[in-house]
Amino acid sequence: MKSWFKLISWVAVIMTGALLVYGMHDMPAWGDPNSPANSHVSPRYILEATEKTATPNLVSAVLADYRGYDTLGETAVIFTASISCLFLLRRIREEKKGRKKVDA
Amino acid sequence: MLEYILAKYNFWIYVVLMMIGLYAMMGKRNLVKKLIGMNIFQTSIILFFVSIGVKKGGATVPILMENGHGHGEHLIKVADYLNPLPHVLMLTAIVVSIATTGVALATLILIYKRYNTLEEDEIMALRKDASSYKTLG
Repeated sequence: MKSWFKLISWVAVIMTGALLVYGMHDMPAWGDPNSPANSHVSPRYILEATEKTATPNLVSAVLADYRGYDTLGETAVIFTASISCLFLLRRIREEKKGRKKVDA
Repeated sequence: MLEYILAKYNFWIYVVLMMIGLYAMMGKRNLVKKLIGMNIFQTSIILFFVSIGVKKGGATVPILMENGHGHGEHLIKVADYLNPLPHVLMLTAIVVSIATTGVALATLILIYKRYNTLEEDEIMALRKDASSYKTLG
């Protein structure tokens, strides 16, 4: 039963890999300056970011200025994760202190 | 055939990394190993996106060198700087991956405290037996 399950996961993994290799044919070559990702919107950011945001570092200009709301949501993600860790691990600390155990 | 593989060898590396991560997530029984597989998976996707922004031919990191001198923006050449957008997106992805890993590790601590094991089949066996499940708590 165990080897049966491992075989299923091997088949699924290899099928996914084959699908990705099949989709890989249409990808541009590595480091191509004229690839679609490098030639559509990215030149606009490189040329205009300093003028519009007064930041020489383009990554922080895009992160904190163009995509400011995205970064705000990102901090919300971090906050949620830290609060979840706090609530998950708080029970352990209370149990270690010898308080009454809380049933989940 | 070898030339065909070498022409896009970076994509092959990411596909192999992703397959390793996917197999670790599905085929492994230990929950910590599943978590490591998830991290390998995320790393392969991060590497994939970062490699999209690479430009050959003398491009450097996307920090502008000439600015604040009036006519500076005329000197900026697009081919001199790497694409900053994949870097920004993967910065966000790294943050999300750290958050998921932290919550998953905290959950694993609780699972280990409750069942005294991190092996998936042992946990399922314990859960199947409802009476022993009650006494474990």
